[in-house]
Amino acid sequence: MSEDHSWEGNWKVRLYERIHERGYDSLTAFAEARPTLPLVELAQELGGDDVNAVQVFSGLVAEAERSNRLTRLVRGQLVRELWESLPNGWPSVLDDEARLEVAIALGSWSAFTPVTHEERARQVMAALLATPPPPGWRPLGPDDELLLTLLPDEEV
Amino acid sequence: MALLSAGCASLTPPPGRGMNLRYTPSEAAGPALAEGPSEDSPRPLVSPPPSADSVAGGAVPRDAAEPAWQSAIAAHLAFLRAVGDVSGSTRRISGELSRLRASRAGIAGRHADLFIPSVDYGVQQLQWIDTELAAATRLSNTASEVDDPDMQLALLRLSGPRLQSSLLGSLLLAVWLDFLNLANVVLDQCPYYNVERLFRKMRQLQEVIEPAMTALSSLEPGQVEAAAADLPALIGHLTSEFAATREAVRVAAQQFEKALKVKELIEMLTTASAMKMALPRLLPPAAPATLGVGLVMGSNGVMIGTRIVVSAEWVETMRRLVQAGVISLPAVSAAVRIHAGQVMMAQSHDELPRGVREALGDGPEVRSMRVTGRAGAGMAEPPQHHVLPREFREWFEKRGFIGDMSIDQFCVKMEQASHQALHGGGNWRLGRMWPGEWNQMIMKALRDAETVAGRMLTPNAILKIVAREMRRHNIPVNFTPWRGP
Repeated sequence: MSEDHSWEGNWKVRLYERIHERGYDSLTAFAEARPTLPLVELAQELGGDDVNAVQVFSGLVAEAERSNRLTRLVRGQLVRELWESLPNGWPSVLDDEARLEVAIALGSWSAFTPVTHEERARQVMAALLATPPPPGWRPLGPDDELLLTLLPDEEV
Repeated sequence: MALLSAGCASLTPPPGRGMNLRYTPSEAAGPALAEGPSEDSPRPLVSPPPSADSVAGGAVPRDAAEPAWQSAIAAHLAFLRAVGDVSGSTRRISGELSRLRASRAGIAGRHADLFIPSVDYGVQQLQWIDTELAAATRLSNTASEVDDPDMQLALLRLSGPRLQSSLLGSLLLAVWLDFLNLANVVLDQCPYYNVERLFRKMRQLQEVIEPAMTALSSLEPGQVEAAAADLPALIGHLTSEFAATREAVRVAAQQFEKALKVKELIEMLTTASAMKMALPRLLPPAAPATLGVGLVMGSNGVMIGTRIVVSAEWVETMRRLVQAGVISLPAVSAAVRIHAGQVMMAQSHDELPRGVREALGDGPEVRSMRVTGRAGAGMAEPPQHHVLPREFREWFEKRGFIGDMSIDQFCVKMEQASHQALHGGGNWRLGRMWPGEWNQMIMKALRDAETVAGRMLTPNAILKIVAREMRRHNIPVNFTPWRGP
């Protein structure tokens, strides 16, 4: 990791400049075109040293709030976490080690879940443990069928 | 990663190659790492870095062509080799000190009350060196269990100061051992040599050595750096003291002994430490070597003429450690100069020739790392923040973050001013974070992970989560131990 310049200057303006340079109107569109890419890698695509993952995510949250699609974003973030931690998909046997990996994925997801969705996120975690997805499950995006069941859109 | 410690043995260069940094070239100093199972110690991460901007601790340069895990493994192997080298020296020194302590005909004889304290001073130094080596080994064992390469390197860097101080301390201690041996021979073989004179000399030399030893054992970066810079000159001074004392013994002997006996006696007064490179073979004090002259990096290592000063393996080991930010270039340079015997007229801050420096890992990244590692003269250090929140110290202790791995080891430096200047507002809820926010965020991640895991998180799992969050905040995974109250 090289030196961080991500908070220098007007980073919000910078973020959107990068998005537009890459031909997108919104961060959401840019991110959804890369639905399984970990957040850090999204930030790297946008600059690396001068854009960080927290900024990207906070921009995504701001856009999702405006368009009432926050739940979708939360699902989308879970997809990214699962790809980052469990590249081979959901473990076939949930032994101690596998369960730790799942825990790391879900804990990281929880840290990036907006307060409004905290409770629902906990329910999703409990549900995933109580009724594990099929081995190898690796959702490709926020429209994954199982994810939609676990965390349906309910915004008006 | 568990393979790492097991695998290192075969990668260690065989003993007996050239003259490397060990004091006795023939010593078989394999990595002495078999110190028992690595404890399940935790590594701490610390408290709250505000998400960060200019993190002073700096960037870790990495060869772009080399994957992160590969650099981490290479640095780890280099660390193990370096620990093995130093352990080899301390084992030898330990054996010698025990022998001296039992030398009834010599240093532990009639004047034991005068001279045994000098031996014990050596024993005390050996103790701190061994303690630091053991702690460095524990941390590196922990590092081998961490599967995040950035975090692995960060742990090695945390243990770097211990390795570095041990390395330099063992060089200086070897010199002290030579003086103890000299005193031992004189007391045993030269009844005509004035005991009080010898005693005064030993006291005086101990006082010369003490400040450097104290600075090295403090592990305080500024003190260690200063001591490292002065070490070649100090050893140069000690070398001339050694030569002078030996000459005085020779002169005294000539009045009482036959020529043949004198010759034998002087042969007993040899050195095993790095002093032997600076000490003339002839009896009179040597003409001082000129610094830097003739030192070149060759395929066998750093050479002076045809003599290998330090082996190519040693240079490679150090290059890895310097580039990974584990030990500092000035410390390694000091060690090379000492081994080269180019210590006599040392202007202590002179540098090695460029080719040698580059072989040891010098480069723009390493230089910038040093610059950003410390605030410039007169500038205040940026404040430190615990990455593993202090309010939850107990929580982390229960999960193994104690001792060498306490949460106080896992701090990052972060500029407060620029941090405050840029506060994300409005809907950007996850904008720049305050330390408190980092704490909340990281504890949420850890607690929820623990709930899912259905058990206490391992240190490895905790560090993995923390490393991930640090990367998301563009905080370099690089720690400094807490220096505050």
